Amino acid sequence: MATPSSKSNRHEDFVALYVRHEPAMFSFVLGMVGRSADAEDVVQRASMTMWRCFDRFKPGTNFRNWAFQVAKNEALNHLTRARRDRHVFSEKMIELLASDNSEEADKLEARRRALDSCVEKLPQDDHEIVSGCYAEGATVQSYAKQKGGTANKFYKKLNRIRGKLHQCIEAQLGIEGSMI
Amino acid sequence: MYRSSTWNRGEYDLMKDKEFQDLIDQSLNETISKVDMKALEERMLQDPQARIHYLNSVGLHASLRRRFSSQQEEEGTILFPGQSIFTRKTVWAVAACLVLSFGLLIFQVSNRPFAEVAHVIGAYRADGVTYKTGETVEPGILSLTRGLLRLDFSNGARVTVQGPAELEVFDQDRVLLHKGLVTATIPESAVGFVVDTVAAHVVDLGTSFGVSVSENGQTEVCVFDGEVEVSLPREAGVDEVSHLVREGESISARVNSSVIDSVSYETSQFENALPVNYGVLQTTGSMRFVSPGPDFHPGNYKDNEHIVVFPEKRGFLSSESMRVDMIDPGEYEKSHYEEKPTLVPHRAMTSYLLQLDAYPEGENPNRRRSVIGQITFAKPIVGVITEDRLLNESEVVFGIPGADYPSARTIEPRPEGDERKGFDKLILTADRHSLILELRENPGHLDQVRVLVEAQ
Repeated sequence: MATPSSKSNRHEDFVALYVRHEPAMFSFVLGMVGRSADAEDVVQRASMTMWRCFDRFKPGTNFRNWAFQVAKNEALNHLTRARRDRHVFSEKMIELLASDNSEEADKLEARRRALDSCVEKLPQDDHEIVSGCYAEGATVQSYAKQKGGTANKFYKKLNRIRGKLHQCIEAQLGIEGSMI
Repeated sequence: MYRSSTWNRGEYDLMKDKEFQDLIDQSLNETISKVDMKALEERMLQDPQARIHYLNSVGLHASLRRRFSSQQEEEGTILFPGQSIFTRKTVWAVAACLVLSFGLLIFQVSNRPFAEVAHVIGAYRADGVTYKTGETVEPGILSLTRGLLRLDFSNGARVTVQGPAELEVFDQDRVLLHKGLVTATIPESAVGFVVDTVAAHVVDLGTSFGVSVSENGQTEVCVFDGEVEVSLPREAGVDEVSHLVREGESISARVNSSVIDSVSYETSQFENALPVNYGVLQTTGSMRFVSPGPDFHPGNYKDNEHIVVFPEKRGFLSSESMRVDMIDPGEYEKSHYEEKPTLVPHRAMTSYLLQLDAYPEGENPNRRRSVIGQITFAKPIVGVITEDRLLNESEVVFGIPGADYPSARTIEPRPEGDERKGFDKLILTADRHSLILELRENPGHLDQVRVLVEAQ
């Protein structure tokens, strides 16, 4: 029987690991399910499952891989339900994405770090648009309404800004890669 | 500087592949169609490099979401000793863990009811028991022998069911109408909401629409605002055939038919249920509720028989105090501008415009009838605006600014002691939920009343 203190240590361990890998998990899930709100739900469910099963997780083994595994199962459950109503990725697609995602996990991590400095370099206007459209509870449509413009216009702007950021990340990683 | 990394080169190439990049962008923007979603998948099944590019793009998108959705919440940021900074999202997850770690297995988010009964207007179950406001809705069949019932889903979708009806509720994204009639108002947060029937599969694309199913399963879909995608039910095996039905259009589909027919736009069967979606429980007498489209302008709406009701702004939070003509129950009387009551700021309100446009027509163009009607709102009325000056002032906030009206729109109540015929009467009932109007037609003139109701 676990003593209260060991239980709370265990809890701290979980929180530390979870917080470190949550962004990767969210990104992976979003790639599978496609919609942000759905991805939040799936990640939420996955986090609960992980905490419930944390006793079975062996310290020292790869937490991230385990998190991806749990997240994939939760995403598949979600997609089975969603499939009745709209086209979602097939299981085959999910398996391929999951294996690519695991292989690329470190690179994706590096990209996340590179993105931070790229966002800082964005021109003021662009920065305002991304921060407005990606703000908590905001949508491109609500942002467009607020700024006075069509949603379509802001979708296009966002696409362009993401393109810029993507290029900036490539450039950063290219430089880092060549320095190694 | 020499760049050796091959995966970087692949990324640049793929970013220039416009067709593929478009598919990814639409997917990230959550505006992708069924067909394009299939195309995106097809491409990625065949091309490993395309999958990597997709994962990279989603990664960027996900990081932006995480970065900016927590940024405004500086106060909500918590620093755990020896830990990194927690954003609200992670705190949620951690809170969930704490709940579990204390042995409580109740978790609010996943067990939260996905829909509840928001309004009941004489709605009875098959066993004769009435529905009650605030009841939570469990997955299963909801049957209504008569009356109206509004279900509010946790994602913001509002569905009004009109009995006799049988509606099967699956979750917050999908219902199946076996028979009867529903009207649905779907905000952006619930886009993709599905109403299935035995003859059609209706997917909302951000809109307001009605669906009715007759005894033999024949389905009619009528779009009041926005657009929906209608296809045959999956069992028909031809799910490729989907129709985009736009505002002001209707379709009809029969059971086991392989076609969806376009039919004339006829809203009358939905006129009791639709207002309930907008917080109007009932209109009686010569009062009619109208769902406005995007190009709507009250001055262009032609109806000289009824007092028509247009929903205006929903959930508006005023930042300043606002003068209105009437706030207390009773009969409206004229007052000077300086004496008008004011509404305190920071109060969320929804507005409606009531209009009687007495344009001359027919054999007796100068008739002066009295048009009488009553409207009942789900929430209490907080203020009524009747005079031209205040109508103009409030137009900026609630109406269509710059809307041009040919003449003053003032309501003329009977001055005290005046015995003559032909004045307007406006009464706010004691419970503040209803407004009774008796408007005297004045040919060529427009009577308007703006009603501000507590937001839901």
